[in-house]
Amino acid sequence: MNKTNTAPARLGFIGVLLLTVAGCAGLAPQSSLEQVQQQSAELTGQDALHWATEQDQPPVVRERIAELLAEPLALESAVEIALMNNPGLQARLFDLGIADAQRVQASRLPNPGFSIGRMTRGSEVEWERGLHLNLGSLIALPLTRRIAEGQNAQVQREVSLSVMRLATDTRIAWYRAVAAQQSLAYSEQVLQAADAGAEMAHRMAAVGNYSALQQAREQSFYAEAALSHLQARQEQVASHERLVRLLGLWGEQTNFTLPERLPDVPAEPLDQPDIEQQAMASRLDVQAAQQGAERLATNLKLGKATRFINVLELGISNNSSNEEPVQRGYEITVELPLFDWSGARMAGNEARYMQQLQRTAEVAINARSQVRESYQAYRTAWDVAAHYRDEIVPLRKRISEENMLLYNGMFIGVFELLADAREQISTVNRYLQAQSDFWVAQSELDLVRFGPVTPSEANSASTTPASPAGGH
Amino acid sequence: MVSRRDFFMGAGAITAAVAASSVSRVSLAGLPEPVIQSSPETMAPLEPNTGRPYKPVVTLNGWTLPWRMNNGVKEFHLVAEPVVREMAPGFNAHLWGYNGQSPGPTIEVVEGDRVRIFVTNKLPEHTSIHWHGQRLPNGMDGVAGLNQRAIPAGKTYVYEFEAKRPGTFMYHPHADEMVQMAMGMMGFWVTHPRDAHPNIDEVDRDYCFLLNAYDVEPGSYTPKIMEMLDFNIWTFNSRVFPGIDPLVARKDDKVRIRVGNLTMTNHPIHLHGHEFEVTGTDGGPVPRGARWPEVTTDVAVGQMRQIEFIASDLGDWAFHCHKSHHTMNAMGHDVPTMLGVDHRKVVTQINSLIPDYMVMGERGMADMAEMQMPLPENTIPMMTGDGPFGSVEMGGMFTMLKVRADQPAGDYSDPGWYQQPEGTQAFEWTGPLAEPARFKSESTTGKPAVEVQVRKPTGHSGH
Repeated sequence: MNKTNTAPARLGFIGVLLLTVAGCAGLAPQSSLEQVQQQSAELTGQDALHWATEQDQPPVVRERIAELLAEPLALESAVEIALMNNPGLQARLFDLGIADAQRVQASRLPNPGFSIGRMTRGSEVEWERGLHLNLGSLIALPLTRRIAEGQNAQVQREVSLSVMRLATDTRIAWYRAVAAQQSLAYSEQVLQAADAGAEMAHRMAAVGNYSALQQAREQSFYAEAALSHLQARQEQVASHERLVRLLGLWGEQTNFTLPERLPDVPAEPLDQPDIEQQAMASRLDVQAAQQGAERLATNLKLGKATRFINVLELGISNNSSNEEPVQRGYEITVELPLFDWSGARMAGNEARYMQQLQRTAEVAINARSQVRESYQAYRTAWDVAAHYRDEIVPLRKRISEENMLLYNGMFIGVFELLADAREQISTVNRYLQAQSDFWVAQSELDLVRFGPVTPSEANSASTTPASPAGGH
Repeated sequence: MVSRRDFFMGAGAITAAVAASSVSRVSLAGLPEPVIQSSPETMAPLEPNTGRPYKPVVTLNGWTLPWRMNNGVKEFHLVAEPVVREMAPGFNAHLWGYNGQSPGPTIEVVEGDRVRIFVTNKLPEHTSIHWHGQRLPNGMDGVAGLNQRAIPAGKTYVYEFEAKRPGTFMYHPHADEMVQMAMGMMGFWVTHPRDAHPNIDEVDRDYCFLLNAYDVEPGSYTPKIMEMLDFNIWTFNSRVFPGIDPLVARKDDKVRIRVGNLTMTNHPIHLHGHEFEVTGTDGGPVPRGARWPEVTTDVAVGQMRQIEFIASDLGDWAFHCHKSHHTMNAMGHDVPTMLGVDHRKVVTQINSLIPDYMVMGERGMADMAEMQMPLPENTIPMMTGDGPFGSVEMGGMFTMLKVRADQPAGDYSDPGWYQQPEGTQAFEWTGPLAEPARFKSESTTGKPAVEVQVRKPTGHSGH
C-alpha cells in the first residue's frame, strides 16, 4: 500500500457522494402485490389477492370462503376462492417478496474495505490505515439498481400471469365439472331408457312374445348404457376433484355443490379483428421480453462504461509512525489491461443482447400466432356449439316428435321409441360437450391476451376436439 | 261429372311441375278434347248418347271416359300425366294416372265397336298402353319394344282396334311398367255385349273397380316404387276405407261387381250376407253350368272376376279382401307384439323420458282405433272409420254393400246407416250362465286333473 497524503475534506466529499448515489431504497413488497392485483384484475375481475402471512387462514378469508361455498358455486366465486386459497399461488406470491428484497439489496452500496497494518523498522513503529472502495460498483450503482428494479417488474409480471393462469384454470375446471355433472345426469337418463327397454324385453320374453335373442339384444343396450354411466360418473368425480385442488379445499369444504347447468353459449360470437394488436399491447410475456432486451442493453452500456473502471479501486490511506509525521494519501489500483481488455466480456454481453433481441422477436411472433390460433379455436368452438344449438338439437327433437307420431300410428314399436330417446339424449349430451368446449376456448382466449396458453390449461375432458391447444 | 278443360292450369303445383313435357296445342288439333276429372267421388253412370246403346257401369270412386263418334269410330283421348289422388280425406298421394285421376277413367264400349284411342304422354318418361285381355292386332297390344315404339314424353300415339269380345278388361302401361304401375297407372275397360248373350245377364247395378296397392311412407306422398311385396296401402280404385263409397242396391236388384287385380298378390274378395256366382273371368263369361256359389272369390294377380248375386237381404253388409292386413291402413310391419305384456312401472319410466308415450298393443291393436292420437302428416290411422255402433276398426280394402228396400233405381247415393228391426241384433246376456255338465273326474277349478308334462329325451331314458 502506498502512502499518500490527502486532505480530510476529500474523505467527506466521497462520503456525501456515496450517500447520494445510494439513495434510500426501502422494502415495499405490498406495492408489488398491488401491482400484480392491478395487472391481473383485467382477467380475473377480482381483488382477492392477499398474503398468507401465517400458517392458518385469517378468519376473514375463512368466512368468505365458507360464505361462497354455501351457495351452489358460481363461476366467479370459484375464481375468488382460488385466488384466496390456492396454496400454489400463495407460494408464488412470495416470489414478489424475494424479488423486492433483491431489488433493495441491489440498491445498497458495496461495503467499503478497511485495512490496517502495523510495521516496525528498528525502533520505528508504523501504522498503516486504509479505507478502500470498489469504484466500479459505485459508479455502476444507478445502473444496477435499474436492472434490479427491472427484474422486480419482471417477477411481478410473471406472478400476474400465474394469477391469471390460475383464474383461467379454475374457470376451465369449473366448466368441465359442471358439464361432467350435467353429462352424468344425461347418462342416467340414457340408462333409464335402456333399463325400461331391458325390462320391457324381459317381460315380453316372459309372456312368450320375444325370443332369447331379441331379449338379449335389448339387454345389451342396457349393459352398454351402464358402462357409459360408470364412465360418466368417473369423469364427474375427476373433474370435481380437479376443481377442488385448484380451489385449495379440503375436508368438509369439498362438499360444495355446482349449478345444474352451464351458461348458454352467447347468441353471437365475439368479433375481434384487432385482437392481435390488442394482445401485443397486453401480452405480459412480450412486455417482459422487451424489457429484458432493454435491460441487457443497459447492461451493455454499463459494461462499456465500466470497461476499465470496474478494475479500478480507490483507496485512502492514513499512515502514522511514531517517528514520522502522519502520512495521508489515496491510492488507486488499476488492473493493467494487458491480457484482458474486457473484449471477451463485451462480446459475451453483446451476444446475450442480440440473443435477447431474437428471443423477443420469437416471443412476439409466437404470441401473435397463439392469439390467432386461440381466436380461431374460439370461433370454431362457437360455430360447433351454435350448430348443435341451432341445427342438430332441433333436428333431433323434430325426429323424436315424428317418431312419436310414427309410434302413435303403430308404425314403430316402443323399442324404436326408446332407442330414439337414447339417441336424442346422447345428442343433447354432445351439445353439452360442445358448450363446455366453447367456454374453455373462451377462457383460453381471455388468457392468451396476457400470456401463452399451455397444454396444462387445455386439460380437455371433452370428446369433441374443439378445445384449442393454445400456444406452447 | 266434372270436366274442366282448364284443369291443367289448376291441377296443383305437383301436377304442373312434373308434367314437364308440354304438348303443343297444334299437335293436339283435331283430337278429341281430353276430359279431365278432379273429383274422387263415384260418378253417376255415363249413359251413352251416341253409338250403340248399352247399360253403363258404375266405377267405384271413379268415372267413365266420354267419347266422340268420328265416322262410326269411337274416339277416346287418354292423357297420361302426374295426378294427386285423394286416397281418403286428409290423405293425398302423388301418383301418375290418366286424365286427372288414378286409376284412369273406365272405358266403356260395345262388342264390335271400332275404337280409336289417342294417348298423349305428359309423363316425364315414355309410356305405352297395353289393353289387358283384348283380342286385337299385334301392333296394338302396347308392349313397348315388342309391338311398338314407346310413346315418348310429349307425344301422342293412336291405338285403333275392334272391341271383339264382350267382357271385363283393364289397361295399363307396358313400358317401365314396374314404376308406372307402382305409381297408379291403370284403368278399367268394359265391353258390353251387342245383343242378348246367353251367358251374360242383364243386371240392375253393375259396379267395377281395380285392386291396387301402394307403399306410401307415413308422412310422405309419393309411393315407393321399388317395393315388391311389403305394401302398406291396399286400395279399391286407389281409395281406402273410410274413403271408399259403399255399393248400394235396391232390395232384390241383380248386382254385378267386376274386380280387376293389378297388385302383386291375390285378394280373396268376400261378401257378407249373400252368396254370389263368378259369372265371368278374364277369358269371358263363365258358362252357366260351370258356375258355383261362393261367398269369397280369390282374384289372382293380373286377373279379373265378375261376380253376380241378388241383393236379397236388407242391411249394411261388409265387403272386403279377406287378407286381414289388407283391411288395415299403413302400419309398421316390424312392431313388436305387446300382447299380454305388463307395462306397469316401465310406463312411468318411459314417460319421464318421453312424456307423450302411451301404452298400445298390451291388450291388442284395437287401442289404435280407440285412441285418436296425432299421426305424421298425410297419414290416416291404420284402422279407422266409424259405423253406427262404434269404430269399424278397419281400413284399406273394405267397403259395404248397402241393400235398401226403397233405394230408387239409378240412385247410387249412400243411404246412410241401416236401421235394424227391433230384436234382430246381438245383445248382451245378463242372465246366469248354466254350469255345463262335466265328467266326475274333471276338476271343477278348470284345471286339468293331470298336468301335461313335456318329457325331453335324455341319454338314459331307455327307449
